[in-house]
Amino acid sequence: MTDSPVPVRVAIVDDEPLARAVLREFLSSEPGVEVVAECANGFEAVKAVSELAPDLLLLDVQMPKLDGFEVLDLVGREVAVVFTTAYDQYALRAFDVHAVDYLLKPVSAERLSAALARVRERLGRGERFTPPATMAAARPAEGRANRVLVRDGARVHVIPVDKIDYVQAQDDYVCFRSEGKDYLKEQTLAETEEQLDPAAFVRIHRSYLLNLSRLARVDQDERENRVAVLTDGRRLPVSRAGYARLSERL
Amino acid sequence: MHPILARLERLAAYLGLWCVIGVLVGAVLTRQGLTWPEALVQVLPPLLLYSFICLSAWYVCRAMPLATSGLPGVLTASVVAASVAGGLWLLLNESWLATLESMEALGPVTARFRAQTPLLLAISVILFLLVLSVHYVALAVEAFRDAERQQLELKVLTRDAELRALRAQIDPHFLYNSLNSISALTGTDPPAARQMCLLLAEFLRTTLRVSTQESITLADELTLADRFLSIEQVRFGQRLQVERRIDDGVAECRVPPLVLQPLLENAVAHGIAGLIDGGTIRLDITRRDGRVSISVENPRDPDALPRRGAGVGLDNVRRRLAIVFGGAARLDAIPGPEGFRVAIDLPCASDD
Repeated sequence: MTDSPVPVRVAIVDDEPLARAVLREFLSSEPGVEVVAECANGFEAVKAVSELAPDLLLLDVQMPKLDGFEVLDLVGREVAVVFTTAYDQYALRAFDVHAVDYLLKPVSAERLSAALARVRERLGRGERFTPPATMAAARPAEGRANRVLVRDGARVHVIPVDKIDYVQAQDDYVCFRSEGKDYLKEQTLAETEEQLDPAAFVRIHRSYLLNLSRLARVDQDERENRVAVLTDGRRLPVSRAGYARLSERL
Repeated sequence: MHPILARLERLAAYLGLWCVIGVLVGAVLTRQGLTWPEALVQVLPPLLLYSFICLSAWYVCRAMPLATSGLPGVLTASVVAASVAGGLWLLLNESWLATLESMEALGPVTARFRAQTPLLLAISVILFLLVLSVHYVALAVEAFRDAERQQLELKVLTRDAELRALRAQIDPHFLYNSLNSISALTGTDPPAARQMCLLLAEFLRTTLRVSTQESITLADELTLADRFLSIEQVRFGQRLQVERRIDDGVAECRVPPLVLQPLLENAVAHGIAGLIDGGTIRLDITRRDGRVSISVENPRDPDALPRRGAGVGLDNVRRRLAIVFGGAARLDAIPGPEGFRVAIDLPCASDD
């Protein structure tokens, strides 16, 4: 047992230089804290998490390209997140996605210190941060997603929803098929279904979620099983329940 | 207080009208064989007293308003009131005849007078009902005018309230972010922090001052806009650039306060803030044929999700322009693939 605080490696993510500067200044007086990266946008944040594996992200919500919740969706399994924002209306959503804390701007040194203490406590217990099952809650409260973010190491792919042909479940992952490429993401098909517009995507099989606009026709194979034939000729299995859902929609 | 008793000239006119009625009733009596002097002597005194009884019709109208009492109720009340009035007239008539009989000279005539009582009673009851209906009509007209006036007052009040509410909208997040910038500068660059405090104070002071005015000069609006942009430039640094092209001679035009500043606020929040490398806001103000055109154009990220609150500020300005200018001003939002432009066109009124 030692009294020295649990060391924390922090990445600061904010598109405003001054907002980063004030956090850096406050952190400089915290023992055992090392600022390993300063990121001006969400892409840099994902890159920093992949390459530098910080313990904590201080994350702004409104940023260009990727907002704070999208960043959390992509990296939240590996890093603790504390939101910093001038907006109080995201607090509930932040709680839903298991952010460690939610700091309102202007940020005070005391509040930041308290948030850091909570992070240290969890790090000390060796806790993982965001359970995968809650990730679907990271969807915008305003409605269904119109794009899907998939992380590939330090890179982030942004896939518009209408460019997705279908989604296939593969063990702990789902695979998005879009414009001839496959993108793997660590989440369940049920969560994916939750995120996508039910008017556009139909669960045709335990393992397949199909974009209705890609469906050319439904055939039967030699063993009387139904098969969805897509506009590009690809064939996907259709279960009995899936066929019922499909007929309901057509 | 009864409206006729409240003013002396109204009472005089009312009694004058009854004298005319008395003469008309007298004319009816001359047809029954009475001479004109006899007829007038018999009819006028009780009728003038009776005219005061008829004033009570007003209280009947008040107690039984047409709108809430329903036709059967009103009819019943009218019949009862008319019967009571008829009874009172009989009393008046009897006492007048008795008075006449007591005068030696007129004694013999009164028997012929008495024969007219049923006819006069019928006329009296009809007169009361007439007065009653005139009161109902008068009250209805008055109620209608009241309603009209209230409607008008309400319109003015809501217009004022709406204008006040629409003007007083400073985005609180702008303040929080600015204060956060000041907090950051306090540690690293105290003179800049002080400068930012002063800018913010000036911006708030000007906003609060002009928001209570009906119109301000475009020069004042431009000063306010410049302060706003200076503050945002501290926050966004190099990401926020501004290009201005402003015609000479627009400065004196009077515009409703805070028409330009919300456009710039939108351009920053929904345009520049969504771009990693930022961009340039273009502000053009031109004057032609007594009209001013204001255009604010900003680049934006074509892939960006629409941010919360997009369009609220513009709707607000559009509604204010509609309230102040009616159809004479317009605001167009013109979305492009890589940018967004808002154009306002309004009449330029100046003091000179």
